[in-house]
Amino acid sequence: MSARTIWRCWGALMVLLALTTASAFLPLGTANLFISLGIAVTKALLVLFIFMELRASNALVRVFAAAGFFWLLIMIALTSADYTHRTDQRVPVDEVP
Amino acid sequence: MSEQALGVQYATPGQEREAVTLGMWAFLATEVLFFGALIAAYFNYRMWFGGEFIAAARMTKVVLGTINTGVLLTSSACMAMAVSSYEAGSRRSPVLWLGATALLGVAFVVIKGIEYSLEYREHLVPALNFDLARHGGVAEIFFMFYFCATGFHALHLLIGIGLVTWLAIWIGTGRIDRTGSTTRLIGLYWHFVDIVWIFLFPLIYLAGRNG
Repeated sequence: MSARTIWRCWGALMVLLALTTASAFLPLGTANLFISLGIAVTKALLVLFIFMELRASNALVRVFAAAGFFWLLIMIALTSADYTHRTDQRVPVDEVP
Repeated sequence: MSEQALGVQYATPGQEREAVTLGMWAFLATEVLFFGALIAAYFNYRMWFGGEFIAAARMTKVVLGTINTGVLLTSSACMAMAVSSYEAGSRRSPVLWLGATALLGVAFVVIKGIEYSLEYREHLVPALNFDLARHGGVAEIFFMFYFCATGFHALHLLIGIGLVTWLAIWIGTGRIDRTGSTTRLIGLYWHFVDIVWIFLFPLIYLAGRNG
């Protein structure tokens, strides 16, 4: 990994940071969440593939790296599926005894 | 005392390097799930409580949070420089880059401490001085998440600062074996802590700024 690659990657991360903070103040409704998460995923991929050298790693290391994120997606999807389909009335937090 | 040149179970340094790198990634996968559970909780709170939860996020300090993200991303670039110059065979240069990495890590923790003290003054710390009448119960849940997530992240960063400082001293005094993988493994850990923050930053600091 050359110094040039590292600092170009750093430059890209800084540009993405500026973009994500700036975009958060635009009135786009729910789209803001998806834009900021999309930029976060891009930043994470830059760090994973360049700084953490997944780019030059063998397939087994890549599978291990992907496994954690894959199980995380299952966890988020299943808990979200539960909460979005609950039909019981929500008790306002301030009124919980 | 110097680091063992090559573990008895390995035939070549290349084989050792492959095995320990894989081991580190297995550990990092468990860390993904550790922080992931907190992030899954965040999404469900956000869905369940909606606007009230997002409004609470507006009380976080977005300027300090953005500066801190820049500090942490820069520290990762310094860490990458340390690993790359170490593997190129330099002895002095990785020590300097590791020093810069550790200092930026300390800067992050200091800025985080300033944020915590501001939040303490605004009575936003659950279980310590949270003003329920002023901020409401949903905000208390948000700040419970906030302090757990950023607190565990800061704890990981403090461990990282300790490791990086130890490594700089060992490389500087020549007590480390050049064929070993210690430097790149500590590098992987540091970058992982950076990735956790990359996701916490938009969820905590950028939520609700569009209104």
